[in-house]
Amino acid sequence: MSGTDYSYDEQGQFFPIFIATIVGIVTIPLTYTVLKPSSDPGATAPRIKTDYRPEHADLIDIQRKAQKKKERKLKRILTVVAGWATMAFMAYLIYVTARTIPKIWNPYDILGISDSASEREIKSHYKQLSKKYHPDKAKPDPAKNETLETINDYYVELVKAYKALTDEDIRNNFIQFGHPDGKQSFSIGIALPKFIVTDGNGKYVILVYAALLGVLLPYLVGSWWYGTQRMSKEKVLIESANNLFREYDEGLEEGGIVSALSTGLEFQNALKGDKAESGLGKLETRILAEGIATPLAGGLSTKDRTVLEDLDGGARRKALALLWAYLGRVELDDPALNQAKIEVAPIAHALNTSFTAIALAFGTTAPILASYLTGQNLLQAMPPKASPLLQLPFVTPAIAKAIEGDSRTHLSLQDYMALPEAYRKKLAVGKGLLTEAQYNTAMSVAKQLPRLQVEKAFFKVTGEKYIIPSSLVSLVVKGRFIPPGSQDIPEVNELDLEDIDPDEDDLDAILGRKKKGVKGAKPEEEKIIQPPLAFAPYFARDYSPRWHVFLTDSKQGKIAVPPFTFTTFDKPIYDESGKPTFNMQTLKAQFQAPPQAGHYTFVMHLICDSYVGFDTKMEVTLVVDEASKGADIEADDDISEPDEDSIAGQMQAMKSGVAAPPKKKKNKPESSDDEESNTEEEVEDTSDTDTDTDEE
Amino acid sequence: MFGVDWWGLALPFAYIAVLLGALVTFSSMSRKRRAAKSANLAPWFPPHLQRNIYLSLLHLEPEEGKEKAPAVPDSIIRAALLRRAVEDIHRIIQIRSAKQACSTLLQRGSVGDDLWQRFERAEKEMEEELRDVVTEVSKCSYPELGPSIFQSANEIAAGTLLRKKLQDIQSQAPAEKEWWERRRASIQSEFMKELEAPSKGGSDDDAVLVNGASNTASIRKKKGKK
Repeated sequence: MSGTDYSYDEQGQFFPIFIATIVGIVTIPLTYTVLKPSSDPGATAPRIKTDYRPEHADLIDIQRKAQKKKERKLKRILTVVAGWATMAFMAYLIYVTARTIPKIWNPYDILGISDSASEREIKSHYKQLSKKYHPDKAKPDPAKNETLETINDYYVELVKAYKALTDEDIRNNFIQFGHPDGKQSFSIGIALPKFIVTDGNGKYVILVYAALLGVLLPYLVGSWWYGTQRMSKEKVLIESANNLFREYDEGLEEGGIVSALSTGLEFQNALKGDKAESGLGKLETRILAEGIATPLAGGLSTKDRTVLEDLDGGARRKALALLWAYLGRVELDDPALNQAKIEVAPIAHALNTSFTAIALAFGTTAPILASYLTGQNLLQAMPPKASPLLQLPFVTPAIAKAIEGDSRTHLSLQDYMALPEAYRKKLAVGKGLLTEAQYNTAMSVAKQLPRLQVEKAFFKVTGEKYIIPSSLVSLVVKGRFIPPGSQDIPEVNELDLEDIDPDEDDLDAILGRKKKGVKGAKPEEEKIIQPPLAFAPYFARDYSPRWHVFLTDSKQGKIAVPPFTFTTFDKPIYDESGKPTFNMQTLKAQFQAPPQAGHYTFVMHLICDSYVGFDTKMEVTLVVDEASKGADIEADDDISEPDEDSIAGQMQAMKSGVAAPPKKKKNKPESSDDEESNTEEEVEDTSDTDTDTDEE
Repeated sequence: MFGVDWWGLALPFAYIAVLLGALVTFSSMSRKRRAAKSANLAPWFPPHLQRNIYLSLLHLEPEEGKEKAPAVPDSIIRAALLRRAVEDIHRIIQIRSAKQACSTLLQRGSVGDDLWQRFERAEKEMEEELRDVVTEVSKCSYPELGPSIFQSANEIAAGTLLRKKLQDIQSQAPAEKEWWERRRASIQSEFMKELEAPSKGGSDDDAVLVNGASNTASIRKKKGKK
């Protein structure tokens, strides 16, 4: 009886469970990813209301739809459906297959007494039963389908059970092995149906196994690995990123960046085969024709023109020509070309993101700004250095020129909208200009655009009065969304301009803000307000505007603090009826102060990457005081825990940018005149209320 | 007793063989591919024209029918070498400014590995190139050039850059001039109109106005000429 023998799952009772589990492991997380509310801003963000339809709106709509379809994760949905179907089928199989659960031998059940019965009760009960069921006494009852044999068997069972509960040995056996006779044979089941191991099927099983391990697994791992290697962090092909890096040059301007973007490999894929050359001649004559507002219709400068003409034919040249056609809003009179023209813009926009990252790594201000401007131009389909008025519906280069008059500098949207209503209208409406209805549409759009007007920008260290060297400084930018042409703008409330620290005891708020500062400064408040999607009627994607704040050093022409990106805000921008609320928005960016005391003058750039001409550039001065100044204030503070001032601990705190916990007191009494130890203590102070009251 | 069932064992052995074979093939193929790829990496810089000129001047082939190659004057060789050094300076500046950016971008995963490989190769090439230039200078007939060649080259490079920028700015001048001319004309014509409209009255105020107009126009003109 002893020994091990394998039993296969002949009835197929475990196999479905096994399969259902495996499928479930894959399907359930996938289901979550499919059903999870989309993070795509296009789904939830409000839109700028207008009934304006640009030329070829149908083509743009087709591309938007195609993109949505692509993003709908059709494959994933199908997998999920198949997974659930499999699981349902397996559940059905489990349900249908009668389960043969081996009955556990339980002497109490056989005797029909409770588990807690004492020995005496067992004995008396057994006597009663044995009187009744002893084979000598019991008569087989045919009505109950009893024979002598079954009666006999039943009696043997009873005796066995009784013995198990009274005899010491048997009882031990029962406790140890679950059986009165001692150890029983094992039965090891394999949850595989028997056909897998039956003779003759072995080779197929090995074949399947080899295919799984030898082909499918390497394929999956390989495709994952090369997939990650193929794309850069900015989601462009790595080779395109390499090309862009090569194209980078300190003196690059917007036009040069457009030329650089055309090196992207994505264009080669989009303009495959026949498309690489077809219509190139027509395309070039169109964009190089004489323009209205610009020397050439495509809006390219003479320099850009030579770049284009020096290129060999092929996909790159066509991509560049198409890009200029898109930027110049040049009509190409050919459905295929127009389609391609719309198609290249989102690709170029993605490539431009990569270029921005590269420019940021180089750190020179001019190309960074130029690449942000190129992003704006690509979204709004405007050539470099074109009039910002082109962002309004129905405004063509000719109309923009007529409005601006013969001026050297462009009229920004907000300046134009600030003109008196009657004069503004007189400029725009007329013969060859906008009609009354068109003008009204344009104005209604302009009055909805989110322009962030900076009211105040300053530096501070949370919970401190002075900014000491190497401390974690926050750049606080206070601004209001004032759409161009807004009237009755309320005065700035002085109280709104102040940045009040959260309660020192409110650890959550402090930590919450820290976290926010570290990862791109997204407001973590419960109510997150999304700005409306960018009004970019020519761009074939939905795009949610972003605001970038960064500091540059104007003397060196280098970037000083890399950009912090803001996509959402904590206060409503518009009320229910779509009127601007003029709420004061707070943008915060944290960075490490310079290690030496002094006055540092930075140029702060606030760039909205979706609209042309909404950028803010202003000078801000960071005053870093001597470390001793910060320490003087705290000198009264007599509670000290020098142990915690170990260099390692401080370094750690400085590095991670996380403030010391509020409990931590960090002032050594002797530190006020000791320069060295001061610098060690310049960790963000969030000491608790005692310190604070001392300060005040 | 030990009757080994060789046929039965064939399958496991075949399995191991296939597995090992696959691994070996994969590794050798991947190595070969990588080697081929790094050998075929596009060079960072375009062909070094100045160096080619210098070398071809140095090793001038004799013309057909003549035994000796034409003698190249030393000054020309020196000038060619200096030109070569200037180009080297351009390239070094490029490499220096790109190195930091390239390595950070590589770490972030914004650019690919082969870009870095190409970059490193270019860097090494440049080192070799500089060394070569130094040895060439010492071979040169004018040894005083030795210590100062890169300094001069640097100045030449900076000067060229500046001149190019100046040219760029000056090339905008005609367009600007034209615009100012037009602007001045339009302003003048506007003032003339204004002058004609109320001239029926013919009061003193108008005369003052005319004076003012011509003054502003002349100021604009000066500005335009700048």
